[in-house]
Amino acid sequence: MMKKDFRVQYPLWQMAFIVLFGFMAFGLKGATSELVNTSDEFSYSLQFPPLESVALFVTLFLTLLLLAIFFMKISKHNKQNPTQRISLLQIRPLEYLEQDEGMVHITRIASQKVYTFFAWALPFIAVIFLVFELSRFWMIVGILLLALMQYFIYYIEVRKRLEDEE
Amino acid sequence: MLQNRVKELRARFGFSQGELGERVGVTRQTIGFIEKGDFSPSITLSLKIAREFQIPVDQLFWLEEEK
Repeated sequence: MMKKDFRVQYPLWQMAFIVLFGFMAFGLKGATSELVNTSDEFSYSLQFPPLESVALFVTLFLTLLLLAIFFMKISKHNKQNPTQRISLLQIRPLEYLEQDEGMVHITRIASQKVYTFFAWALPFIAVIFLVFELSRFWMIVGILLLALMQYFIYYIEVRKRLEDEE
Repeated sequence: MLQNRVKELRARFGFSQGELGERVGVTRQTIGFIEKGDFSPSITLSLKIAREFQIPVDQLFWLEEEK
């Protein structure tokens, strides 16, 4: 039952939004802008190559759809758990399970694994960015991959511990 | 290593993990973690569980020397 808790599933939502953000970045990378600013005319236009424009519009549609479901899920969680309400404005990550000391324990273990990952991954990606001349798009992809891994490690660890207990 | 008799006493008292958790104010999962030895509870929680089973805490939890 605990596996269906919104806070347990929250990393999956974050991963989905990260993937969508990646596709959005792909859609925007091919965009070219044209600014005409003369005494007779002022215009600004954006042009997208066909593939990128399809990616951008599909991604925008999926993002809006997912956001709507996401907000409904938060609302449902707060109605079902009035003593453990979550807010998008809270500073503490929504995925933290802190109902009791056992949940704090698994949150700590999962967070430690994520910390260990970053301790290695950040210097590694910094070296990659330094050695290779990457475009802004690929740097964004690198950062998104780190974020994706962060939530993946956290989710797998929490799920594993809860599954052992089901 | 911390050993415990929570599972044994819970069965004797006829509590499910959820019922014991409710009585001491934690989730069912936390009782499961304690029974399996995955997690050492705080002194407060240990005392609460011992109180439910009406025994001193050192008869519920004890340290087993590692070889």
